[in-house]
Amino acid sequence: MFDFREYLRMEMFPHMLCPGCGHGIVLGALLRAIHSLKLTKDEIVVVSGIGCSSRLAGYVDFNTLHTTHGRPLAFATGIKLARPELTVIVITGDGDGLSIGGNHLIHAARRNVGLTCLLLNNQIYGMTGGQFAPTTQIGRVSTTSPKGQYETPFDSCKLAEAAGASFVARGITYEPSALEKLIVAAIENKGFSFLEVASDCPEFFGRFNKLGNPADQILMQKQNVVDVEAAAALPAERLRGKMLTGILHHEPRPEYGAVYAESVA
Amino acid sequence: MEPNGTQNVLIVGVGGQGVILASDILGVVCMNRGYQVKKSEVHGMAKRGGVVYSHVRYGAQVLSPTIEPGTSDVLLAFEPAEALRWSKYVKPGGTIIVNSRKRIPPAACQDRRMDAPTRYPQGIEQALRGQVGDVRQFDAEELAVEIGDHRMCNTVLLGALSSVCEFELQDWLGAIAASVKPKTVERNQKAFLAGRNAQFAAMRDSLPSEKCEMSRSVTCLDAPEIAIHDSWCKGCEICVVVCPQACLKMNERNRAEVVKAEACIRCMLCEWMCPDLAVRVQ
Repeated sequence: MFDFREYLRMEMFPHMLCPGCGHGIVLGALLRAIHSLKLTKDEIVVVSGIGCSSRLAGYVDFNTLHTTHGRPLAFATGIKLARPELTVIVITGDGDGLSIGGNHLIHAARRNVGLTCLLLNNQIYGMTGGQFAPTTQIGRVSTTSPKGQYETPFDSCKLAEAAGASFVARGITYEPSALEKLIVAAIENKGFSFLEVASDCPEFFGRFNKLGNPADQILMQKQNVVDVEAAAALPAERLRGKMLTGILHHEPRPEYGAVYAESVA
Repeated sequence: MEPNGTQNVLIVGVGGQGVILASDILGVVCMNRGYQVKKSEVHGMAKRGGVVYSHVRYGAQVLSPTIEPGTSDVLLAFEPAEALRWSKYVKPGGTIIVNSRKRIPPAACQDRRMDAPTRYPQGIEQALRGQVGDVRQFDAEELAVEIGDHRMCNTVLLGALSSVCEFELQDWLGAIAASVKPKTVERNQKAFLAGRNAQFAAMRDSLPSEKCEMSRSVTCLDAPEIAIHDSWCKGCEICVVVCPQACLKMNERNRAEVVKAEACIRCMLCEWMCPDLAVRVQ
């Protein structure tokens, strides 16, 4: 019987995330995915940057590395090149991965380094008090956009795909079972796997935007997404303003570490 | 306080309590009386319950904006532990005004079982009295709630501060009217007077008995089907909402509780969607 507690650093719990924070749901899905892949604790490295999402690395009993803001992918690339047999999972947030670490993201994707990048997108900088992030949707209120955000947000999946990631997918915390399967697929892909997870920040995003309590907010996710397979059959106007979930792009190509090893052999 | 030389007032508290606004109002009062005022503060730490402080210095001529340890005339603390943290700034013979309402930070209550001790410091009032003779402690938040809004706590404390400053009542009321939102002026002034009168009445009460603000217990770890780790649950209510069988409900302590374990169909949603990993379906 699966018990997620065997993968946790129990002395660190309860974790520091706010009540209703979606990141904990992603953590649970990640542990179940790792369990179903039958990976041992020592085979896994979890690398994270700075931010609420990046705190997750501190709660899991694998090899973990909590790195500088925006740079987890750079550290993870080094780990993967030195120890290609390890499964390297990067947990980053939308601010960490797309703003300050945006350049690392596109180059890790371009090189197709064998990493799994989980980008937890809650549309806000939660840890520093709710400043808008590069993924905050237009019109959303934050501490730095009191009259509503007016900058066009990133579609991080399109960004990763265009940059060359061999696996791109999007999950939501409302569908934890589907999310678990996406994480499994992302880890199984040999090259750079990019998985965006739409998460909630009830404290700084939900509260400022009057989205109700954490439960209201997570139920609301359902209205904003369409599965990519279902979307193929739907007319364009039904898809307006919706996010696509599922595996958006999967095109295996040579992994960076393997190519590098060959070139120096 | 005698208006010779530079007067130092240190205002400290926990993020979100209104330290900055209170020190701004004090600054306006001083300026309206023709003093030079300098102010130095840390802000923005508020969002996760961090320490917020504001140094206010006023006089005929103020040189540095920061107060040296051991030279502050008054320490206005919005929170007992913050008073203790900053008490070394108070000069001998200075005054400490403390709000007795505690803000126990999350880091001090990692052990969230029922009756688990917090790591919040004990015996603060005695420790303060040991350092500075003049310690005036009262529950400002209670007064603020009586007026109708706990957020007025900072104005109540400002009222208490006014009892040891030489400014006229009208100066204070005018500065409040100029600094707060128009629709809250009246209530703020009322809160200010409540704090001021409480001090003038020399109301001193001791620290309230250690109240466990987050009540805790491990209730159903051994329940046959659904186990909720009570001390991990943060009460977000997601499991209660997603359960298709209504097996769970929120209890009076705002924790999830199993009420109908026999109806469980093992859909696992409560376990999978618990952000705190507090639910296990066995």
